[in-house]
Amino acid sequence: MLKNYLKVAWRNLKSDGTFSVINILGLSMGLAISILLFMFIVREKSFDQMYAKKENIYRVLLHREGNHGEETWASVPAALAPAVKQSIPEVEKTARLLKHDFGGSAFIQANEQDFVETGLYWSDPEILNIFEVDYVYGNPVSPIDRPNTTLLSKSAATKYFGNRNPVGETIIVDNDKTLEVTGVFEDLPENSTFDANVIASFSTTNFSKNPSWGNASFETYFLLSPSTIPSDTEQKIQHILDKEMAPEDQWYSFTLQPLAKIHLYSAGITDSYSSRNGSITEIRNLSLLALIIMLTACINYMNLTTARSQKRTKDVGINKTLGASRKALILRFYIETGFITFVAILLGTILSILVIPVFNNITGQNLNFNIIFSFQFFMAFIAIWILTTLVAGSYPALYLSRFTPRKAMYSSSSKGSIASVIRQGLVVTQFSVSIILIISVLVIHNQMEFIRNKNLGYNPENVIAISTMAAHSGGNKNTIMNNFKVLPEVSEVSMAQGFPGVDVSGRSLYKDNATNGSTNIKTNKAEASTTEVLKLQMLAGQTLPAVKAEGDSLTDVVLNRQAVEFLGFTPEEAIGEKVNMQLGNNAYIRGVVEDFNFSSLHEPIGAYAFHNYNSEYEKFLLLRFNSSDIPATLEKFEKVFKETVPDSAFEYTFLDKNLEKLYASEQQTARIAMLFSILAIFVACLGLFGLAAFTAEQRTKEIGIRKVLGASVVGITRLLSADFIKLVFIALLIAFPLAYWISERWLEEFAYRIQVNWQTFIVAGVLALLITFATVSFQAIRAAIANPVKSLRTE
Amino acid sequence: MLELNHIYKWVKAGGRRIFLLNDLSLKVESGEFISIMGPSGSGKSTLLNVIGMLDDFNEGEYYFLEEPVHTIKEKQRANLYKENIGFVFQAYHLIDELTVYENIETPLLYKNVKSSERKALVADILDRFNIVGKKDLFPAQLSGGQQQLVGIARALITKPKLILADEPTGNLNSKQGEEIMELFKELNEEGVTIIQATHSENNAEYGSRIIHLLDGSMVREKSETI
Repeated sequence: MLKNYLKVAWRNLKSDGTFSVINILGLSMGLAISILLFMFIVREKSFDQMYAKKENIYRVLLHREGNHGEETWASVPAALAPAVKQSIPEVEKTARLLKHDFGGSAFIQANEQDFVETGLYWSDPEILNIFEVDYVYGNPVSPIDRPNTTLLSKSAATKYFGNRNPVGETIIVDNDKTLEVTGVFEDLPENSTFDANVIASFSTTNFSKNPSWGNASFETYFLLSPSTIPSDTEQKIQHILDKEMAPEDQWYSFTLQPLAKIHLYSAGITDSYSSRNGSITEIRNLSLLALIIMLTACINYMNLTTARSQKRTKDVGINKTLGASRKALILRFYIETGFITFVAILLGTILSILVIPVFNNITGQNLNFNIIFSFQFFMAFIAIWILTTLVAGSYPALYLSRFTPRKAMYSSSSKGSIASVIRQGLVVTQFSVSIILIISVLVIHNQMEFIRNKNLGYNPENVIAISTMAAHSGGNKNTIMNNFKVLPEVSEVSMAQGFPGVDVSGRSLYKDNATNGSTNIKTNKAEASTTEVLKLQMLAGQTLPAVKAEGDSLTDVVLNRQAVEFLGFTPEEAIGEKVNMQLGNNAYIRGVVEDFNFSSLHEPIGAYAFHNYNSEYEKFLLLRFNSSDIPATLEKFEKVFKETVPDSAFEYTFLDKNLEKLYASEQQTARIAMLFSILAIFVACLGLFGLAAFTAEQRTKEIGIRKVLGASVVGITRLLSADFIKLVFIALLIAFPLAYWISERWLEEFAYRIQVNWQTFIVAGVLALLITFATVSFQAIRAAIANPVKSLRTE
Repeated sequence: MLELNHIYKWVKAGGRRIFLLNDLSLKVESGEFISIMGPSGSGKSTLLNVIGMLDDFNEGEYYFLEEPVHTIKEKQRANLYKENIGFVFQAYHLIDELTVYENIETPLLYKNVKSSERKALVADILDRFNIVGKKDLFPAQLSGGQQQLVGIARALITKPKLILADEPTGNLNSKQGEEIMELFKELNEEGVTIIQATHSENNAEYGSRIIHLLDGSMVREKSETI
């Protein structure tokens, strides 16, 4: 019996070429996407699962009240870990992590060569008991207990020293600290949140000497003893805090985040050092999109199968008169569907392997297809197969098998029947989804264009920032600036702690006396010409003084409009006022600049200050250049830089390029939405194409009669297309409000955003109609130009 | 064999009943060969469908082999006709996707006959109808007469007691038609009860009894003396 069913399924497949191709192609594309997505989800879920003690590893989170509601940081004060270790016994191990330069890159000299290292962590030795690593060279008992020791990952060791054993060699960090290599560990897996290339001893840094409760810059991990209840530990941490400081000084509280939650459930948590952050929302959105595409493909299958029901019902009728029970027929249709989905799954798997590189490219992921050959995947394969078969096969199976033999064999076309209503409903659903996706893509695109073209209040074009961490002595600073100032390509030179698009220091700005309240302010230690390099608009006063005398206790501050407005001054009034913003006791306002978007457009502009208080380093050399030959200019800059700062690698970024990074996730969303929209529309078109072919076939006789009666080709094409165009109009009505709502929700994330305008909807509508017309008219015209004599020949 | 008592069947059109079968009573004995005649729309096909249990009727009683068809459940009814009735259609209604062999085999599949037995049965009937050479062809590759032969072979494969044939020769030329009629006669002589609907006086003459229908009622009945 089964053999017989499969045989019939196969012959049906062959005899209806077009329909089969459409069905299988649509299904396999949907499946390919599902498979990719499944691989993506498996990878995201596998994060940090390789650590043996994963159940008991927690990260400490800091909660505080910010300007815009509660903030959660992944970095906590350095004093926390030692205090907890001392007084809470169930915290077995503690480790603080400080990414070099608070998340910046390090200049490494090793083997008399210069390197840039973006994965250098200063860490307590117990990190090796929390996240266990395997050693390639050395099997050290306490590799980073002493100051000035370091471990290298295998790839870092290979980069610095080639393939030899580097244990006992030294590396120099930022021309400053010399570290002895005590071991080499296997690279941490790609799905580990802890992403260190170099693990250097925390005791090397000054922060280890007098750990403070003020500076919260240290990502801290705890290993709890098994069966500890985290909330108990959290309470004990609060007790420690209560002992250490008065309640009014506690500007934060702590909670513990289990390791399993770190990768996917850290949305809204800032100040984490890892470069590998996932998002459960992204997974959910992608799943939803994949589900929609899968459903679209299943809808196609249902539609085409029932559309052919005229032929199939005859089949059903004959089989029933020959004695087939309803059960047997249902089984038969399921088997037929199962057969087709099986073929589609095989094809889809091959397809997904082929498009992995494209998918990786678009989503910025790093999937590989090995996972396809796992047991887990095999089970998923089976599950997807059964599910698809049930979803796609149920309607034809239950609908077609219901016919009584007489009705099945003798009834003619069923226009206006329930089947055709359902069919039309399914087409409308498909098109609504496609239209929503088109509108989403347009809205995302418009918003990104808006961001690109928005006047930011400064000019990020033609500005390069060169990292100068290795030039540590102050005297060097002027030499560097002077050496670049003389170049003809350079129009302005400055040095600063940071620039718009990178984070600078956070302080508090107080109204004239502290009780009147305060606001968060970003402070940027900068040279005078920074305002010129960035082309900021001075509203009043002047920029910072070019020279500050050694030992001068006076601090000059240039505030932005937001800051002086908070203080209650007009820009003119503010000049010369003393200001309390944690920059010493003698800080005076010297100038006021117009507001500019110093961080991403997700956030409204807050208070900002340039200053010359002697606290932070000026890490970046900022150059405004006027040459369009970028490669030659860069080469020249590198040469001058190497001459001026001999022992440093040349690391640079363009301000406008750096800005794009702020919107990387939106760009990715846009690309994914684009990819999925194209797929969804394509699959929907496949279905429409098939349905149009079917309609044309079903109405062959009618078309023949109309032609004999004198209808024109255009008239018949219009007749056949009109039905579908009508459906698209209904889909537009359904899609517009939904799309509007979705777009508004997405745009809410931006402080600076476009309004969703009616042009977008018009464009999407016209596009949908054009696509429909192109798809349908192909079939319609073919039917219209066919010879009526043929179609009228008696059956 | 079967008995119809005062069968009514109607459809509603614009609030009025249009009768397809109007107070029709008929008794068929085992071994009879009945021809039903009448103009288009007189109810021939409807009557055959009612007898074949493919179609319901609105009023009246129908006993098939003593079973009250009008009261028994759908499933029993399906079993009843599956076991006892074979259908032959004007348009043959062969399954396009199946070969001659497979078409004939299908009713046996639905009766869950064992594979070896199926082979034997199908081989016998192919042999009897002289279509062994055609067994691997698809319906589209056969002439109308040959298709109808296959249709009859398929109807006979389950050894039914009753064959219902709706215009079996309607799509055939006269020579092919005659061959089919000869075949029916032969089957009838072997004991199979046959009821056929036809337009052709000649074909009707093969029957032992001719029933004339008009507007769903029996108008005339002519019996041959056997």
